[in-house]
Amino acid sequence: MLNYRDLDWKLIGAVLLLSLIGVLLIMSAQYYAESEYRQAFYARQLLWLLFALIAFAVVIHLPLRLFDVGAYLLYGISLALLIMVLIFGSSRLGDANRFFTFGPISLAPSDIAKIAFVLAISRFFAYTKLPVTSKRRLAVSAMMCVIPVALILKQPDLGTALVFFVVLFALWFWSGLSPGYLFLILSPLVSLVAASHWLSWAIYFAVLLIIIGLVRPGAVMGIFTVVLNLAFGIITPFMWGRMADYQKLRILTFLDPGRDPRGAGYQIIQSKISIGSGGIFGKGFLSGSQTRLEFLPERHTDFVFSVLGEEFGLWGSMIVLFLFLYIFYRAIRIAVRCRSRFASNIVVGAMAILLFQFVINVGMTLGFMPVTGLALPLLSYGGTALVLAWTLVGLIVSADYRWQEY
Amino acid sequence: MERYILSLAGRERISLILIFLTFLFLGGGLVKLQLIDHSELAAQSEENRIRVVPITPRRGRVYDRENRIIIDNRPSYTVSVVASEEVRDQTLPNLAELISLDTLQIRRRIKKNMVSPYQPAPVKRDIPFEAVAVLEEQNEKFPGVSYRMERVRQYADSLGAEVVTGHVGDASPEELEQRGLENLRLGSIIGKKGLERQYDPLLRGIEGTAYIEVFASGQIRGAYEGREGIEAVPGADLTLTLDIDVQKACIQALDTFCCGAIVALDPRTGGVLAMTSYPSYDANIFSSVIPESLWTAISTDTTHPLLNRPLSGQYPPGSTVKFITVGAALEEHLITPTSLLKPCYGGYRFGNRVFRCWNPSGHGALNAAHSLEQSCDVFMYQLGQKMGVDVLSEYYDKCGFGEKTGIDIPGEVAGLNPNSRYYDERYGKNKWTAGLVLNNSIGQGEILCTPLQLAQFYCGLANKGVVYRPHVVKKVVYADGKVTNTAPEEILRLPFSKGTMDVLLEGLRLVVEGEHGTARSLRNPDYSIGGKTGTAQNPHGLEHSLFVGVAPLEAPEIIVCAVVENAGHGSEVAAPVVGQVIRAYMSKRLARDEVASLNGGGQP
Repeated sequence: MLNYRDLDWKLIGAVLLLSLIGVLLIMSAQYYAESEYRQAFYARQLLWLLFALIAFAVVIHLPLRLFDVGAYLLYGISLALLIMVLIFGSSRLGDANRFFTFGPISLAPSDIAKIAFVLAISRFFAYTKLPVTSKRRLAVSAMMCVIPVALILKQPDLGTALVFFVVLFALWFWSGLSPGYLFLILSPLVSLVAASHWLSWAIYFAVLLIIIGLVRPGAVMGIFTVVLNLAFGIITPFMWGRMADYQKLRILTFLDPGRDPRGAGYQIIQSKISIGSGGIFGKGFLSGSQTRLEFLPERHTDFVFSVLGEEFGLWGSMIVLFLFLYIFYRAIRIAVRCRSRFASNIVVGAMAILLFQFVINVGMTLGFMPVTGLALPLLSYGGTALVLAWTLVGLIVSADYRWQEY
Repeated sequence: MERYILSLAGRERISLILIFLTFLFLGGGLVKLQLIDHSELAAQSEENRIRVVPITPRRGRVYDRENRIIIDNRPSYTVSVVASEEVRDQTLPNLAELISLDTLQIRRRIKKNMVSPYQPAPVKRDIPFEAVAVLEEQNEKFPGVSYRMERVRQYADSLGAEVVTGHVGDASPEELEQRGLENLRLGSIIGKKGLERQYDPLLRGIEGTAYIEVFASGQIRGAYEGREGIEAVPGADLTLTLDIDVQKACIQALDTFCCGAIVALDPRTGGVLAMTSYPSYDANIFSSVIPESLWTAISTDTTHPLLNRPLSGQYPPGSTVKFITVGAALEEHLITPTSLLKPCYGGYRFGNRVFRCWNPSGHGALNAAHSLEQSCDVFMYQLGQKMGVDVLSEYYDKCGFGEKTGIDIPGEVAGLNPNSRYYDERYGKNKWTAGLVLNNSIGQGEILCTPLQLAQFYCGLANKGVVYRPHVVKKVVYADGKVTNTAPEEILRLPFSKGTMDVLLEGLRLVVEGEHGTARSLRNPDYSIGGKTGTAQNPHGLEHSLFVGVAPLEAPEIIVCAVVENAGHGSEVAAPVVGQVIRAYMSKRLARDEVASLNGGGQP
């Protein structure tokens, strides 16, 4: 049996508080909706919170070794599910198979894959004897990431696919790769963006050469980096031509929301209006006109943070920001303290998922980031997302509780 | 290889710094939006939800002198589309089918009338009530479509009074700029012609304002309590000097002809009893959207239905102005009322040219009154020769020719009253002969006048020299009950002494009553008529036929001037037309007199 007093209750309290704030915001978002189904979203979220707490309880009660040992098996199962969903799955949007539907519940295998990937990659980095900068080590871990990503991109779901890369980079870093070296590995991706204009790419390339000079990664790695950057710089215009229209639109709209005021641009504009009009103290619970009169799109899911900004103002938003800050700060401290490398790795992986989705989502509502379709963890409406978030938190709390285990 | 590896403490430090930077970034974004941009974004959020709805006031109604309605308002339904809510491939095709336009036309109109993509852009006015019923019952088929009731102008049928009433239409960008009208925007209804334009500020009333709260969909949630609206003030009602019965007689009288104009004035006030331009158009077509084909048909019609002939049609007055020639000669003492001039043998030699009289068999020697009775050209030639171009022109001028009357309807023209300076400019000094005055003396040549000017001159004759400004509005009744009446405004006094006037009035009488009068056909037992025929030569075709009638001659109450284009002699065509109009007026008056005398007879 667990000694409950030793659990990190402050962390759990912060997560629970965020979940409850989420329920309140979902309630406000659909309070004046015409359909009773919509009005009851918050009640359903509350029910899901119960399931999430059960999942959390199960996770903290299971020994961490179980996750360690079962990591590759779970990873294999999740890959199988990802393949199955492409064949047997259903979709809500009409363009992609993302869900298994069981009656009223729909399950996204990509959510399961996120956990499985965190566990598997944590295990790999925990036990591999390969040196940190060995090509094999980098290549194997990258493959572990690319396989599920390829399957998810088939759905296609760019936002979720990005989460996997973020976990990979976070663990590369956490397993000791220096920031300079990590930058060289990531540099072709930067090339991809910088190459949108020849001048920006030329400047970037000059900077890259200077960094290579500083890091001195060795002849093979150095040449490899330069060649890859050249290739990506040339490929970009070609890639742009092959992107789906809606992806192009998202990027263009992000750069200039005014260009599509009726589509994604409209969402960002209305989100900024909602948050900004809230001012310092907000318009009050259930009193946000942007929310109530439906100017704010996707109020209970992607833009739930905008509801917060409108109705509770700067102080309300800051409280939520600080709760998240506290969670991430605690996660870093836990990751540092854990004696087991596997435990330390899963804490960083879990945190990377939550942090990335948090930044992308809040950044989107503030107009800093493109509309990616990534929901705000713990607050946005969505049952499986809530269960996933609490499972990740469960892993963090469990790692903390068992920090002395090897 | 160590140099590529970061210590745990280093990793921790970098991680924490990254997280703090992230929060600085997001927190900074919040501060930017909620502190720095707050007022601007709060205003945008208010703009989002609060829609300012102008309340269009009821436009003033217009009545005739007996309070019969001439211009009324009727309900009409305008269908609009909110561009941001329209559903592609659904809204427009469904709507197009319902209101019989094609999707391209609808799209063009949305673009033209759109204020913002979130506000309804009017697409079609005056859709049939059945279409409204469909929109109401099957609203799910028409996302983004709304309709609203508004009042449109309804002009009384078959009055032919468009020259007076004019019509309304959508304000164009140019008009908004030119007239500097307050409270107006593109697409507002404003008066375009006639009294609708002249009295537009009175008729329009004062726009009100309402504030409502709307959903993102444009659906109205209800009144916005935060701000009180302003009520609209209805437009003023106008009572005209027009008499519907006389007006109807005008278009009936012209019915068998191609084109013409009639003006009927009350000489005692200058009030317009009837005025028509024939053919006319139906002002009601401008109340809803005019089909392009109809507009093309009207605007290219060779009979010019849009022309306001009484005010802007310019005709040679012909013999109708011989009163001025004779009056001027008497005033200048060139003749006396009893002088007989050289006899008329059907023509008059001037230099090496012969100027013909309309009657080739001649009139013999005549005095002033009889020259008018028989409309002898030779008599006038002699007078014209005696007085010269400029004396005659001066009298024309004093009788109101060559100058606008100032009637309260826009679009009037001045006509042309040529004098020697005009001829010098036109032909060059000494490049024209004194013979031109002979033409002028019989109202031919270059002199041009409008039917209204002619009628106004006869008002002076009938009214012992006093001319009141012609006008159509008799009374204005404001929304608050205040009433203003138009007082007759003397604008002219004919330059004729009492003695001269007597001769001219005798001439006026003899034209109808005289043995040789040119309009003997108008003689009737019920009332006495005076008048003068005119035949205006027209270089483009058959002569215009003119007649100006005055009745009852003892105490004139109505002057009717008729111009029938390309119809021949005045005595044959225009005179009976005027006779019909006068009859419409007089028979009503006589019936009224009879009732009055019967009632009076009952008194001791």
